[in-house]
Amino acid sequence: MAETAVQEKEPLFGKKERKLLTDPLDSNNPVTVQVLGICSALAVTTLTFKALVMSVAVVFVCGFAALITSLLRNMIPSQVRMIVQLVIIAGLVTIVELSLKALNYPVYKDLSVFIGLIITNCIVMGRLEAFSLANKPWRSFLDGIGNGLGYGLILIIIAVIREIFGKGTLMAGSPFGQFNIIGASNETMSYMINTAAEGSWFSWYTNNGLMVLPASSMFIIGIIIWVQRSWNKELVDIS
Amino acid sequence: MHSTRYIYTFVLIMTTVVAVVLAGMNTFLKPIHQANEAVFNKRAVLKSVKGTAAVDALSDEEVVAEFKNVTQMVVNMNGDTFNPEQVKAARNFKDKPGMAEDLDLAKEKKKDEKDRLHPLYVFDNGGKKTYVTAVRGSGLWDEIWGYIALDADKNTIVGTSFDHKGETPGLGAEIKDNPTFPLSFVGKKIRNTKGEFVSVLVKKGGADKTNLHAVDGISGATVTCDGVTEMLERGLKYYEPALAKK
Amino acid sequence: MEALNLFLKAAFVENMVLAYFLGMCSYLAVSKTIKTAFGLGLAVIFVLGITMPINWLINEYLLSDTGIFGMDLTFLRFILFIAVIASMVQLVEMVIEKFSPSLYNSLGIFLPLITVNCAILGGSLFMVSREYSFGNSVAFGMGSGFGWFLAIIAIAAIREKIRYSNVPPALRGLGMAFIITGLMGMAFMSLMGIDLGV
Repeated sequence: MAETAVQEKEPLFGKKERKLLTDPLDSNNPVTVQVLGICSALAVTTLTFKALVMSVAVVFVCGFAALITSLLRNMIPSQVRMIVQLVIIAGLVTIVELSLKALNYPVYKDLSVFIGLIITNCIVMGRLEAFSLANKPWRSFLDGIGNGLGYGLILIIIAVIREIFGKGTLMAGSPFGQFNIIGASNETMSYMINTAAEGSWFSWYTNNGLMVLPASSMFIIGIIIWVQRSWNKELVDIS
Repeated sequence: MHSTRYIYTFVLIMTTVVAVVLAGMNTFLKPIHQANEAVFNKRAVLKSVKGTAAVDALSDEEVVAEFKNVTQMVVNMNGDTFNPEQVKAARNFKDKPGMAEDLDLAKEKKKDEKDRLHPLYVFDNGGKKTYVTAVRGSGLWDEIWGYIALDADKNTIVGTSFDHKGETPGLGAEIKDNPTFPLSFVGKKIRNTKGEFVSVLVKKGGADKTNLHAVDGISGATVTCDGVTEMLERGLKYYEPALAKK
Repeated sequence: MEALNLFLKAAFVENMVLAYFLGMCSYLAVSKTIKTAFGLGLAVIFVLGITMPINWLINEYLLSDTGIFGMDLTFLRFILFIAVIASMVQLVEMVIEKFSPSLYNSLGIFLPLITVNCAILGGSLFMVSREYSFGNSVAFGMGSGFGWFLAIIAIAAIREKIRYSNVPPALRGLGMAFIITGLMGMAFMSLMGIDLGV
């Protein structure tokens, strides 16, 4: 996984820079290819809105942690590099937390546990270890943003599937309101027996209890990997 | 390889910079955080009396105004009441007035039961009183808490609101996310016909509709539901002497 | 006896990987062969078993308001726990690099990533919120580590066998590992009802 340092001078948005942003979306995706950040992918994907907020926070933390680490890369003593990286990450995560607390308190209350989880989200530290410690700041920043986006993409795909089939809604709990897609309305969702209610398109559907269990995201990620590798043959694991 | 001295200096400078930035940001945003938190807590209390939807429709200013009509009391397990000065002295509050809403229940829960102070909110709706008690317990992952509003008879539940720190979304978290769960407590009684305290049970597999002391559990969230049962039993019992004296 | 029950509970009933789905990343990435899985599993047992008592002492004597500073410093809990874990992992890394360079190379980036293995931080936070005693925190740490070790050995064994099965090419390897873990997790859910009295 370790990228080699790029030596030659490149323009601000050359081909290589664009690749840094787009690669993590598909062929070098942090979740499905690099196997990073799985735990939080299981924890926050029951609701699309939570997954969305989490993705934005991870893009921010990932990008700026990579930038700062890369700026300091020649000064960080290798014996304590992990502690230094964690201080940077924990600092940025606290900034996100404090800002959210001031901007939208109810959302902060809902997500405070998950925001803390970003500290232990291995994507951030994984990219710092693999890329930022050996590359120039601008590239590291793009790599961080790209990986944050790649992570967010998978997160939102899983969350949309889990929320629609597990709760019958989309974007529940968001400030913009929610959509009742299938099955029972929000008033009765997943509470004892799901009785079909008015207000959704397919009210005959009974919410699938498996979808709210963490195990379901394992199956969904497995299937996403299957689909991705069916069309991107290079990624197929021969071993 | 860097020298040991360099490593120590580097770590020291790094941590100081991060600490200063965070402390600065924290101090700067603290007034906003506190205001937000106060409104959030007031909303939670109001929700147990007026219902979630009605309170969500109120603006922050309306919530603060509404709360001015509420009598706040601080009680202990013997039913003794404490005035704000006593609370302030007992809890070393510096910048808080020592009202019931200033108590941090997470900290109270860690104290011995006899040393705890609990808030009791009294709503007066044209002579008809509603008592709101605060309960706190443990769910599957972390703490859960809630407000239970009792009718003037100190027996019938007129509303509840629950919250949690980290229950599983879609399962344990439904105690807060699902509007039907808090509503299912309405009309239940915490005392049997003889007047003895029996609390309300959250029953796995569903409760009989005619049972006045049980509500339906949430399927798949047994540990959280048991937590709610335990929290109600212990928490409501705590208020017994105080309610009896009122 | 209580400590033994807690050990069993942490290892089986509340298995970090299969019941709580914590510490997934390294679990999935390093479980291709039993040999590397064994090495990482031992490292995790060591780190969990050591950090848990250390973090217990820190929480009790430094951070709580009855500790030596006499004030409530719990807001520092997260960063201090992480620092303890990071230094332990750094220690393990140095030891492995010195004594087994081949294991060091095969673990690659996932050795430093034990630091951000949520099972380890998660374990310390569970310990605090469940208010374990010192002895129990040791048992819980060892038990969780042992459970993690068993889980990664189990999946590595399955993955070694399944290599000879006719899995669709695109699903081979990682895709299959996810699905197997999901199934194992569902199987472990049935253990959750066992009450060991701790």
